[in-house]
Amino acid sequence: MGQQIHFALSQSAHRVLFKLASILPGLLALLAAVLLLTLVGALLAALLSRILIAIKFDERLSRSHTVASMTNIQDWSPSHSPAVLLTRATFWGCFVLGVIIGILSFDAAYSGSSHISMLLLPYVTHLVGATLLLIAGNLIARFLSRSVLIGAVNAKFQYARLLSLGVKWLVLVLTTAMILDHLEIGGTIVDLAFGILFGGIVLALALAVGLGSRDLVSRSIENSGPRPVEWPTSKDATSHHQEDKKAPSVESLHHF
Amino acid sequence: MTTDLNSSNVGTTLHPEPHGSPATLGNPASLEGLLVWLSPRSSESFALTLSHLNQTFEGQDPGQGVFVATPGYDAAAIAADSFPNLQTLPVPASSLSIANRFITAADYVYAFQAMQDHGAKACLILGAESDSLSPASLLKLGVAVLAGNVDLAVPYYQIGSHQGLVNSAILYPLTRTLFGAFPRFPLSVDLGLSYRMAERLALRARPALASLGSEDAIVWPVTEAAINNFTIVEVPTGLYSSPQPPPTDLNALLAVVLGSLFSDIDAKATYWQRVRPLQPAKAVPAAIASTVPWPDVQPMLDAFRLAYTNLSGIWSLVLPPNSLVGLKHLSLMPAERFHMSDALWVRIVYDFILAYRQRTLNRGHLLGALTPLYLAWVASHIRLSDSGEPPEKHIQNLAAAFENDKAYLVSRWRWPDRFNP
Repeated sequence: MGQQIHFALSQSAHRVLFKLASILPGLLALLAAVLLLTLVGALLAALLSRILIAIKFDERLSRSHTVASMTNIQDWSPSHSPAVLLTRATFWGCFVLGVIIGILSFDAAYSGSSHISMLLLPYVTHLVGATLLLIAGNLIARFLSRSVLIGAVNAKFQYARLLSLGVKWLVLVLTTAMILDHLEIGGTIVDLAFGILFGGIVLALALAVGLGSRDLVSRSIENSGPRPVEWPTSKDATSHHQEDKKAPSVESLHHF
Repeated sequence: MTTDLNSSNVGTTLHPEPHGSPATLGNPASLEGLLVWLSPRSSESFALTLSHLNQTFEGQDPGQGVFVATPGYDAAAIAADSFPNLQTLPVPASSLSIANRFITAADYVYAFQAMQDHGAKACLILGAESDSLSPASLLKLGVAVLAGNVDLAVPYYQIGSHQGLVNSAILYPLTRTLFGAFPRFPLSVDLGLSYRMAERLALRARPALASLGSEDAIVWPVTEAAINNFTIVEVPTGLYSSPQPPPTDLNALLAVVLGSLFSDIDAKATYWQRVRPLQPAKAVPAAIASTVPWPDVQPMLDAFRLAYTNLSGIWSLVLPPNSLVGLKHLSLMPAERFHMSDALWVRIVYDFILAYRQRTLNRGHLLGALTPLYLAWVASHIRLSDSGEPPEKHIQNLAAAFENDKAYLVSRWRWPDRFNP
């Protein structure tokens, strides 16, 4: 009995060690590919940077391109320099190439009967996709929340911050749900929770805006609808006279 | 007519106030070779403007006189009968400018093209409200650039004291400080251009026109004249009324105009960073004493306070702590004592220019965040004027404050990472 247990345990340990040993060359190949391509990328970026500086690439581009297209390029360039954008794109392109080659070599290191790569590779791909989604979602949430905040403040909405926060959380909740769905975590619970949260935020925003704009809407309806004829009383006449005396509102200013 | 110009490069010269009928202002034959370019407008407005110009150029021989280009409007059919003093040229329509309010890149390019086609020596570009200018004023603008020693004639509009506030708060002080150009209305919609000035502006405007969606970009003639060392004169044009955008358009228009000016400043940084002797300001006519009571500042103060509670986080990305403390004090100040110092406003404008250049945050957001601060300046200006200080004096003092603090802008432009309390 004891011998059988010992045999079973040693067999299991042997299988685990064998699996680990078979993973190691693949991992080594992955690391080597990433490191090598990163090194190549850094060298290429440095070389490209020197060449672009030598030929005054930024100045040439600003001279030859139209104002708008140049502005568009600069909008996406770090430090407003298209040359820096190119060098960084080269470096990160090499890095991504290294990761792809590494994963392929990792896959090739396995025997056809192994299921690990079949499980791991799609998950790694999904993980990269989820990371990109997270970054994009955060950027969009910040951009939209600022846009709404500034627009609402300039429109003199008292609940500008609430609107901005609402929009920010809408985008963040949507991003989180997309990431979880992408990683296939949580299944239908995520869908359900997302529906409840998203609907809740929209309802809360609608209530806030609706209640906050009650006076605005009622004034607008009063202004657009037919008015009942009211005979002025002496009190009204006095108040109208006072209103006439009041200075005109900000609209009477000529800003341009 | 031009002997009294006493013009100087980049500096501004004011013509004497135009009085009298067009006939007394000079020989109409001297207007030969003048092209009048009308910026896009409605058909009714075209007819009115042509009638006004017909009166202005009375006595001019239509065979060799003034060409009037009417972009997008075929006036040829009626011109012969209705406007005997004009020789109209139907030309392709330039873009409809931003709310028909400013002269655009397309106007400059097409106007210069028309000048080349018809051998014109000078050009008079007239905006949508040029009908409100007297014939004498229009003649003065045309004669000034035809004389040959003036490149850019800019009108000095006589407007009310609470009009043209964006111009008074930002455009005029900045162009005066950075480019040493004194025209009081640097974004004027009526201009007189010499041939070389028109050529220069067309050259500047062509890339914008070639770029899709940028044909209504604003080109700044005063700064362009300044960097080319061209001669600018300022011509008093009398009373002027300009159409105002709806109040909701203020944010959009402010963003367009200031975005364009800040870009222009960025593009011409090598010019204005050089130390330049500042010219003393010429005597300028006072603004019309307004009979209308000053507007209520409370809505503007409310807008500013609302912005302070919501946008201080965004402002803190752009403004140094000193300015933020100043804004905090302003937000707590009661309406009757509300006053934004010139020094604070100058620093705000300079820091926004720097943030625009460094792209500290999205440029649309940046310009949107400036609107409530501008409204606070307007409220302060109104309060000051209400307390008895002449508005024009305040604006001249503000421009002087911009000049005195120019070193701050230059320093932070060159070394943006230097400690800035």
